Amino acid sequence: MMAILLAGFWDAVQDVLWALMPLIVFFLLFNFISLKLPAKELSKILRSLSLVFFGLILFLHGVNIGFISAGGAIGQTLGALQYNWLLIPIGFLLGFVVTFAEPAIQILNIEVEKVSGGYIKSKLMLYFMSIGVALAVALSMIRILTGISLWYFLVPGYLLAFILIRFVKPIFVAIAFDSGGVVTGPMIATFILALTVGSSYAVEGSNPITDGFGMIALVAMVPILSVLILGVLYGNK
Amino acid sequence: MNIKETMVEVLTAILPITLVILLLQLTVIKAELQDFFSFLVGVILTVLGFTLFLIGVKSSLLSMGEMLGVSLFKSGKIWFVLGLGVAVGFSVTLAEPGVQILANQIERVSSGDISKNLLVMVVSLGVGIFLALSLIRIVFRIPLVYLILSGYGLVFILAIFTPENFLAVSFDAGGATTGPITVPFILSLGVGMSSIRGGQTLSEDSFGFVGLASIGPILAVMILGVIFG
Repeated sequence: MMAILLAGFWDAVQDVLWALMPLIVFFLLFNFISLKLPAKELSKILRSLSLVFFGLILFLHGVNIGFISAGGAIGQTLGALQYNWLLIPIGFLLGFVVTFAEPAIQILNIEVEKVSGGYIKSKLMLYFMSIGVALAVALSMIRILTGISLWYFLVPGYLLAFILIRFVKPIFVAIAFDSGGVVTGPMIATFILALTVGSSYAVEGSNPITDGFGMIALVAMVPILSVLILGVLYGNK
Repeated sequence: MNIKETMVEVLTAILPITLVILLLQLTVIKAELQDFFSFLVGVILTVLGFTLFLIGVKSSLLSMGEMLGVSLFKSGKIWFVLGLGVAVGFSVTLAEPGVQILANQIERVSSGDISKNLLVMVVSLGVGIFLALSLIRIVFRIPLVYLILSGYGLVFILAIFTPENFLAVSFDAGGATTGPITVPFILSLGVGMSSIRGGQTLSEDSFGFVGLASIGPILAVMILGVIFG
């Protein structure tokens, strides 16, 4: 049991070491050359960075033995079922749950409510986004089952976005494109991605590298389109 | 430091999906006890790790970002702004958990063809270059829409030449790069820069950084695909 729980732990430590090293070296250099913070401030920042270090190790390892293996297992089991179309509703449900609970999205919604002077309620935004992400995950499952190219979703999606840009205030454009990354929070890149990749392995004729991936791309498009559409509605009020 | 508040934030994000997964494990998957148990341990580590990580980010990176932003703008030299923008974007993105996780899964699925380290480097460089561009945008007051349109225009032109294997991965990289470490850092950098410049466009200037930054990795991975695909 211990062996299973510890598998890959050392890899996580090494990954995090390499990931944080440049940032720390860069900051120390910059401090030495130009900032010259007092020792007390500097040690406070270094102490917080050590929290980031240990936190990242625990997080990456936890996600690996927890959410990524569970996502992979669920995807492989569902994909191998005779009723593998079940992937579509289950993808929808999971996409909704992940988004509805994500704190980063609530922050974005409140921001939009403020910019629109209260016209676009944050509650409305939350449902809009959660259903949008749910649809994006369901679409990814349809891609896995049918092999439709990602292209047929991305091109019309971004074309629509570029057309909508003409009808909204510039501030909505900025918020829309900024929020593309907001919904793709830690649960999407871990659990849901492992789920789509796992399903793609199990579904016959599906190619994990072209069909299993691409889900994040679709999810990232959701807030862009949502904010722009709500921006158009706001402009027409 | 508000440990409790951060913990609650992490729990609200992670608990609902955990419950749904447990339900699926019990019904559809009929997971073995061992898998069930290691999932639970994983969840606990995830919650603890993410809480520590967020507390660290909030108390160190935000002030680092603002200090950098302020001194960037004070310097006023374009080459300095460019160089520092690339260096900051690069080193911050390396530390982004989403990038590490995505690159890991891509390496596994491509059975090593798309190497994890190379991918992480390329993605981070992409963010660095585009972060530098968005800093320049503030200096020269270029409207955001022009940069977004030309950025995505370039993406869709390059996509024609990108091998199928890299296409989905490149767009995924764009989405995964902007996460809990890059977003607050980049935003605070912007706040630091525009706080010095002041003026009426302050709030509009501090938006748009993240959106531009996520175009970089898409282009970077596509170029990688064109070269190695």
